[in-house]
Amino acid sequence: MTRPSSAQRLARLLAIVPWVVAHDGPRVSEVCERFRISERELIADLNLLFMCGVYPYTPDALIEVDLEGGRVWVRFAEWFRRPLRLSAPEGLALVAAARAILGMPVAGNEKPSALASAVSKLETVLGAGGDDQLEIELGAASPDVLGALQAAVGESRKVLVDYYSFGRDETGTRVVRPWRVFSSEGHWYLLAWCEKVQAKRLFRVDRARSVTLLDDHFEPPGDLGPVPVYESRSDDPVVTLDLAPGAHWVVERYPHEGTVDMGEGVLRTRLRVSSKAWLERLLLRAGPSATVVSGADGVAAGAARRILATYGHVTSRE
Amino acid sequence: MDRLERLVNLVVALLDTRRPLSRQEVRERVGGYSEDEENFHRNFERDKDLLRQMGIPVVTEPIDPSRPEAGLGYRVPRDLYELPDAGLDEDELVALGLAASAVGFEGMAQSSTTTALWKLAGAGGAGSSRARPPAAPPGGPLVDVPMDETVATLFAGVTERRVARFGYNGRPRRVDPYGLSYREGRWYLAGFDHGREAERSFRTDRMSGPVELEGAPGAFVRPEGAPSGPVPAWRLGDDEEIVVDLKVDASQAQWAVTQAGESSVCGESSDGTTYLRLRVTNRAALRSFVLGFLDHAEVLGPPEVRDEVVQWLHTVEARDEPAGHRSSGTGHQAPAIGHRA
Repeated sequence: MTRPSSAQRLARLLAIVPWVVAHDGPRVSEVCERFRISERELIADLNLLFMCGVYPYTPDALIEVDLEGGRVWVRFAEWFRRPLRLSAPEGLALVAAARAILGMPVAGNEKPSALASAVSKLETVLGAGGDDQLEIELGAASPDVLGALQAAVGESRKVLVDYYSFGRDETGTRVVRPWRVFSSEGHWYLLAWCEKVQAKRLFRVDRARSVTLLDDHFEPPGDLGPVPVYESRSDDPVVTLDLAPGAHWVVERYPHEGTVDMGEGVLRTRLRVSSKAWLERLLLRAGPSATVVSGADGVAAGAARRILATYGHVTSRE
Repeated sequence: MDRLERLVNLVVALLDTRRPLSRQEVRERVGGYSEDEENFHRNFERDKDLLRQMGIPVVTEPIDPSRPEAGLGYRVPRDLYELPDAGLDEDELVALGLAASAVGFEGMAQSSTTTALWKLAGAGGAGSSRARPPAAPPGGPLVDVPMDETVATLFAGVTERRVARFGYNGRPRRVDPYGLSYREGRWYLAGFDHGREAERSFRTDRMSGPVELEGAPGAFVRPEGAPSGPVPAWRLGDDEEIVVDLKVDASQAQWAVTQAGESSVCGESSDGTTYLRLRVTNRAALRSFVLGFLDHAEVLGPPEVRDEVVQWLHTVEARDEPAGHRSSGTGHQAPAIGHRA
């Protein structure tokens, strides 16, 4: 375990003291539990505190700390009657966390009411008036599907998923072992072991039309570690593109296998492409700013021709 | 002497004083600084920076306003230091702790939530049940939200109602920040742009230079019903506003409505084709949105926008001639692109 920094210890101490002062000899164990601190750490910090005070540091000018019978008293610490105000990042982190959880799709009407009242009190203290000053969208998902998947993860139960595959533009059912449900970059994902392909797969929750919990249980996996939302496979075909500045978002947004500066703002990059539709969208959006060097000749033109046909423009070439 | 002890004494000294303390007074009153002038100077600067990073309001003021030659001193005003009473009860504290443990903040020290929860726990809850710290959900946080200094500064601007300054699209902006929203992995600021004299939305990751807040809190009045919610990309721009009509076929209609909002739906035919009407201030973003549906969506009007899309597609088609027709082609055959679940 890494030793907490002076700043962390100071921040903790400035929060603990007001609470101990206000509670007239709370149990040491209670303080430790409340502030998630070991007894050894607490005692070390308190031992230091009672050497603190104001100039000239005579006994009457020092903070008094008593540890007796498993209880602790702090006196003459009038400077610390309140904890330190929340900083902007702290206020934001708490409000954002609360808003995110409150914004989760839930079946029925089971919003956590303590959280809703907590965040509104917190916002009042921070000066924010109204709950529309910070909004967090975690992504669209059917509350029933999301709820069922969360339950299945918790109970380690297999599920039957009716899933729409964006890349293939088709719907099919499959049995999966749900490992983890999470939201990232504005979408809900299910990380699961797919029994159909016998491999780990990441599913978009909003593309699952329905989920049925099965009676089969499975052994939950150990530590999953961080889950990359985009995970290319080494057997996916490689496409090499030259990107003018107008298409640099491609390398900012998607994983790639490195870039080479070709001069005049052009970056050459290699992408692993698992779905043709995905590449078509990318090339159409980038337009003249992206040039295919190899691996995808005619993909953009083919997509463009297909769309032009819907606009009533038929190219004579085909 | 332990640095922590010196820091506590420094905070006490700065809170205890009514008038600003000069450096030498700080040195006398706070034990543990070096005899050596240079060391003292360096350590005091480091301590002062650390306190400010923690959010302790160390203010710099003239020691004697009537005698400017007396120089500047330091103190911590109590009203700025102390956490106002939020009146949170123990259940509410637990609920906040639980929410914080379910959300991961990429790019910003996770310690922000830890220190924030310490402070609230230190303020003490009313009620009988004890605030037992919740366990983190298994498998890591349920939700990842990226966050950085820019977003934190803008949040302070929103809550304190202070004008924000930043660069955007190559222009310096002064904006009354009305609200922040997070959507599809990005943060957006909605506010009143003083230069444009209109309400605008901005992507925070496109702001250039440091975002700064100017002036005192309460600088503007947030209008009733000010927009703050997430804005679609086609509203994030400085183009003249136009109204664009689209149709999306049944297979993608639900997805389009989710992104554009129910209020943009203006019709549906019996086969499920859905008609949308969008107000657009960023035509390039609109084009990207429409092309994302491939041949499942079509711009119906106005004619100039429809022509723009058609022209764009002709350009893409012409540039992507079969190999051999253009100089960079090397005769590769396009390999089959694989498919994935």
